[in-house]
Amino acid sequence: MNIQPGIVILWIFFGVLPIVGFLLGLRAPAMRRQVPLVLAFLAGIIPILSIYIPKVFLADPDIGMSPRLDKYLIIVAGFALPLGIVNVIQNSSRRAARREKGWPYSVVLLFGLFVTGALGIYGAVTGEGIGFRQDGTSTPFKWIEDNAFRPLQATIFALLAVFMASAAFRAFRARNTEATILLIAGVLVMMGRVPLLEFLTAPFPGLQPAAAQGSRTLGLLTEWIMNVPNSAAQAGIIIGAALGAAAMAIRVILGIERSYLGLEKGE
Amino acid sequence: MTDPIGTWLAALLTLAVLSFLYRDNPVFRTAESLFAGVSLGYYVGIVLDQTLRPNLIEPLATDFAKNNDLLIAGVLGALLYMRYVPRVGWVARYGLAVYVAYYIGVEFTRKIHGEVLPQMGRTIQPLDQGWSFQSVWAFLNSPGLLALMAIVGTYSVLIYFFFSREQGPVTQRVSRVGIWFLMVSFGAAFGFTVMGRVALLIGRINFLIYDWIYPTFGVVT
Amino acid sequence: MARGSPTFLDRLLHVDRRLIFLFVALSVTVPILVPLGLPVSTTAPTQAAYDYIESLRPGDYVWLSFDYGPSSAPENDPMAEGFMRHCLSKDLKVIVCALYPLGGLGLANNSMARVAAEFPNKQYGVDYINLGYKDGAEAVMRTLGANIADAFPTDVNGRNLSEFPMFGATPSKREDGMVVGHTLGIKSIKEVKVVFTAATGLIGEYWITLVNSQFGTPVIIGPTAVSAPKYYAFLSSGQLKGMLGGMKGAAEYEQLLIKNRPDLAELYGATKLFTATKGMDAQTGIHLVIILFILIGNVAFFLFRMREAKEGGR
Repeated sequence: MNIQPGIVILWIFFGVLPIVGFLLGLRAPAMRRQVPLVLAFLAGIIPILSIYIPKVFLADPDIGMSPRLDKYLIIVAGFALPLGIVNVIQNSSRRAARREKGWPYSVVLLFGLFVTGALGIYGAVTGEGIGFRQDGTSTPFKWIEDNAFRPLQATIFALLAVFMASAAFRAFRARNTEATILLIAGVLVMMGRVPLLEFLTAPFPGLQPAAAQGSRTLGLLTEWIMNVPNSAAQAGIIIGAALGAAAMAIRVILGIERSYLGLEKGE
Repeated sequence: MTDPIGTWLAALLTLAVLSFLYRDNPVFRTAESLFAGVSLGYYVGIVLDQTLRPNLIEPLATDFAKNNDLLIAGVLGALLYMRYVPRVGWVARYGLAVYVAYYIGVEFTRKIHGEVLPQMGRTIQPLDQGWSFQSVWAFLNSPGLLALMAIVGTYSVLIYFFFSREQGPVTQRVSRVGIWFLMVSFGAAFGFTVMGRVALLIGRINFLIYDWIYPTFGVVT
Repeated sequence: MARGSPTFLDRLLHVDRRLIFLFVALSVTVPILVPLGLPVSTTAPTQAAYDYIESLRPGDYVWLSFDYGPSSAPENDPMAEGFMRHCLSKDLKVIVCALYPLGGLGLANNSMARVAAEFPNKQYGVDYINLGYKDGAEAVMRTLGANIADAFPTDVNGRNLSEFPMFGATPSKREDGMVVGHTLGIKSIKEVKVVFTAATGLIGEYWITLVNSQFGTPVIIGPTAVSAPKYYAFLSSGQLKGMLGGMKGAAEYEQLLIKNRPDLAELYGATKLFTATKGMDAQTGIHLVIILFILIGNVAFFLFRMREAKEGGR
């Protein structure tokens, strides 16, 4: 047993307390709601306190509670990431079993999931890994990643480029003052980020120096727009959103906001 | 083409997705479902091999005396899956509470310390930092104007956000200025977005031409 | 709306989107097939990033995080690889990790393999290392501030970090016996001279607002063009040392490398790899097409409004 004070406290908070809560929860259903709120308070407050109280038991890089908790939460995040898979397997296999509309797509989905997942598990369990092997060849997991996962993801996102062009044609119209400002800023930036004038004057070498000068001016203007009005507006957005998020954080830590636990207000 | 099978697979999947541009069709739907499945399977692989094995299983297996507290993390993580177990689904809340509250606690310090304070700091500076009227360009870049723009832009946007419901005559006018700043920013963002999205299309077409078509037909570049 | 048969104006306002798609496809494909080699101008944020890396000394540690996936690889790959090449050619020690769940790891593996092959005299674990992927970006970054080996106990292939001179207590020697820079490995992110995050989403922001704010490590970001506008606020507030905004930023960086570093100029000249500079021709083509579409759309819109007003007046 590791008997550093910070780690002992962590054992009590996140090891003993949940067990006690579980046992109490079996008897008294009210505890099923109370204990998680206590856990949330403790987990949320430790990283904040470690900034204010830089004592060894709390903030020491090796044995402090807060860095240790950080380390735990890497692992918990690892469990959380594939959490939705259980749901997807349940839904897709039900759809396939009942031959619901579009069931072959569910079969394809499950096929992709099981093949890739199985190869991943194989790589992790055997120690072969999921990247390059020692000799520089790809593991089967990586082969699927390179030749199926990557092109699929990249192409699905590339579709957006094409849709955006048609959206620009339809939506970008100078309907009023605000829309006109948007339009002018957008077109200026589009012109200023690429050598558009050089492109247009490519067949006429005589015009090239003027085009280069024009591009330079447009480029500087674009940078000014980005640095000055855009940056100020972004600062406003950042501050506004951050204050909202900070308020929400306090509500969660104090147990006022509890809908993420599937609990109603006051429950 | 070092791996013709792989390249052909990648090319056919690329074309399958692009077929959506003509219209929605079963080939696209199949590719889409395959993508969803492979992505989820991918999570299993990276989580097990890159996080759980090195950070949880191996430390416990090699030096249990020093790392036994990692069991806490393992149990809290595993608890998240209890939601799929009937009758004791409520136990998942124990893991979820720790997971969500920890990240939101970190988020709190990050937002205040890393976003609100530095961005506010930028709007608190003297205005008499030098103004230049020699040319339009010099004026646009004079430090005084830059400071003023930062103040006006940031606060007018904030006022627009916070007083969007109850607007008096003053806040209404200031909000209007805030909207103008936002519009400049959104317009600029649109210009950038075109660039970003197109880059992805360039990447795919470049792949089809240089990695698939040219090698398949023996075109030397 | 017009009564009776559709006029030219109606057709223009309701053009089949597939016609627009065709124009987009052509404007991207033609410049890829027939490169024009248009000039790329340098913007201040890219120059600042380049200058900052130039100011580092041989042996300094730098960190490169792959915080993007295949969905933005054509933008981010050239930045990450440009940064890696720049650092290795300057004898900086490059630590690579990936924090983006949906594909960051594979891109890190591939980019590192590509660039490492170009620097055969550099040694894995001495000059550069790949720490692989880790879940929970914010927890990872906080742990890096305390102890890198707590967040990444092993490299990407599961080998213990203490096996590598970059993290061990042994002098960092190359194969030829030369001791490069630091003789002690590093412990925390605070000792890293700069973090370069090639990023598509929020993770890039965490490096600025968490690592830079709480541990003081300087950060350079290479965001996708879509998120670049936001980072101008962080540039203005001095929280960023520099930025490579999207494919354009990556192309600018490539041009700076070609201009100032002869070894890399040769490499970029000889390579058949996809580079951001090559992509810029197609970018120019599509920008022209979209601007034309916007103009046509607006002219048609105004003509339509004039007609409406006329008809309404009757």
